[in-house]
Amino acid sequence: MFNRRTLMGAAAAVSGAFASLTGRAAEAKKNAKAKVAEGTMAPRGSIGVLERLPELDLDSRQDFLTSFRTMVNREMSAASMRRADAILKSKGIDPKAEVPYAEAIAMLENDPTIALSTRTWLSAQQLMWNDLLGHFEANSDRYLSEMEAVDKKGPGTLELNPGMKMPDYVKHEIHIQPGGYVGSPFAGHAYHYGTNAFYTGRNYQDELHRGSANRMPIPADGKVKRILDIGCGVGQLSCALKERFPDAEIWGIDVGGPMIRYGHLRAVERGLDINFAQRLAEETKFPDNHFDIVTSYIMYHEVDPAGTAATVKEAWRIVRPGGIWYPLDFKLTGAQRRTAYGSYRSWMDHRWNNEVWTLKFRTNGLPDMIRKQGFALNEKEPELLPGFGVLNATKPATA
Amino acid sequence: MADAKKTDRQTYASDFIKGDTDQAVFLGNPHIDNLMTVVIALGAEIWSDRQRLRIVESLMAKKGKVTSEMVEQYVPSEEERAGWQKEREEMVKRVYAVLSRDTSGARPFGEERKFN
Repeated sequence: MFNRRTLMGAAAAVSGAFASLTGRAAEAKKNAKAKVAEGTMAPRGSIGVLERLPELDLDSRQDFLTSFRTMVNREMSAASMRRADAILKSKGIDPKAEVPYAEAIAMLENDPTIALSTRTWLSAQQLMWNDLLGHFEANSDRYLSEMEAVDKKGPGTLELNPGMKMPDYVKHEIHIQPGGYVGSPFAGHAYHYGTNAFYTGRNYQDELHRGSANRMPIPADGKVKRILDIGCGVGQLSCALKERFPDAEIWGIDVGGPMIRYGHLRAVERGLDINFAQRLAEETKFPDNHFDIVTSYIMYHEVDPAGTAATVKEAWRIVRPGGIWYPLDFKLTGAQRRTAYGSYRSWMDHRWNNEVWTLKFRTNGLPDMIRKQGFALNEKEPELLPGFGVLNATKPATA
Repeated sequence: MADAKKTDRQTYASDFIKGDTDQAVFLGNPHIDNLMTVVIALGAEIWSDRQRLRIVESLMAKKGKVTSEMVEQYVPSEEERAGWQKEREEMVKRVYAVLSRDTSGARPFGEERKFN
């Protein structure tokens, strides 16, 4: 496995073969020729699955913001929890007791330590997005040219549908990413680098996506010819699936044109044959019973209840009998126990991190919808990661 | 940021619903919130200078010379990368530890003014 900051000869050769199709051809050519050792020099924008950012200072600032976010999530969050416990005890409330959102918010939001923790968390995230998008927009000619150069080239295909009608729920600036997934030409670039801070370093080589793809259950008959990744974003899971199932036809669809455009660029550069299309999860346009596996990576907590219901029906239509539907997301089955501090944090994430649909996601009854549609929910399957990827379903072979 | 500079090229970006987090005030005064953002941004700027300095030191030790291009393109060893991360995390803790201090006993400074 390549490390982002380590250039190996093989990586350079692969990068060179496919990046020559893009505006980075000159850099790629240099890479392909030279086996560059650690401790020496290599062009920026050329290393690993997630390439180094093209400017050292930008890269350094992003590293700092990731470290800062880690500190907020550990030290400042711990200080906030201590304050929450003290406030609740002063009111005679057990800190572990379940407390409704409104009550929890009213008790906790004005505490200076809790407010400061929220402020710093959001500020670091705003700085992260603005710095990244500032760079991509300042160099827009270069980045647009790179995408234009491969829009119609393979391996794989790219279907963009400018002007397509989108439901409002997809247009929000989720995670306060400026422009969200649809409003910036560089939404994909920003998302890919920005989520490094979310994953605190486990995003350089698509680690979680590869882990998810490698653990994904397959149909009982072992047949995996076609796989669909719904809400594929920049195609990290799609790429990981292609690596696991090299002979399968892989499709990634997403409503965000700039997201899949960037996803196609990086798939081409890596030589991965994936078909990306700008389509809705609730209207995929694929034939009935078409896919052996249909999956999605942390999409459902960003979908409104009506969209969720529609996508369950659509998944049923396109998964073949005996096929698997695996909507990877945060844990939502079982009791959703909410302590006061947990409720405050969930509300803060919803309200100020602009996770518009997360609260409804927790109560929308997705497991019941899946069962009622006819899928057999494999409830005894282990979670992919603690608290993540608990739901997977099989369409009965007789359906 | 999403109001990208105008271009005649097809960008496949479309209309979106703008959030209002930019207007959120957590510290009682929007300018105090702004100052907190400034403090974090300054930390990032200081670290980027520190990072450059470390690369310059490495290059001088290994090559005996430094150019801007060499600094930009430097590929650290795994050991250096881990060392930088440790240094960065220690700097963050050292500089910002005060933000996690126990303030449960905090009170306005004038409260304890006594004249007899």
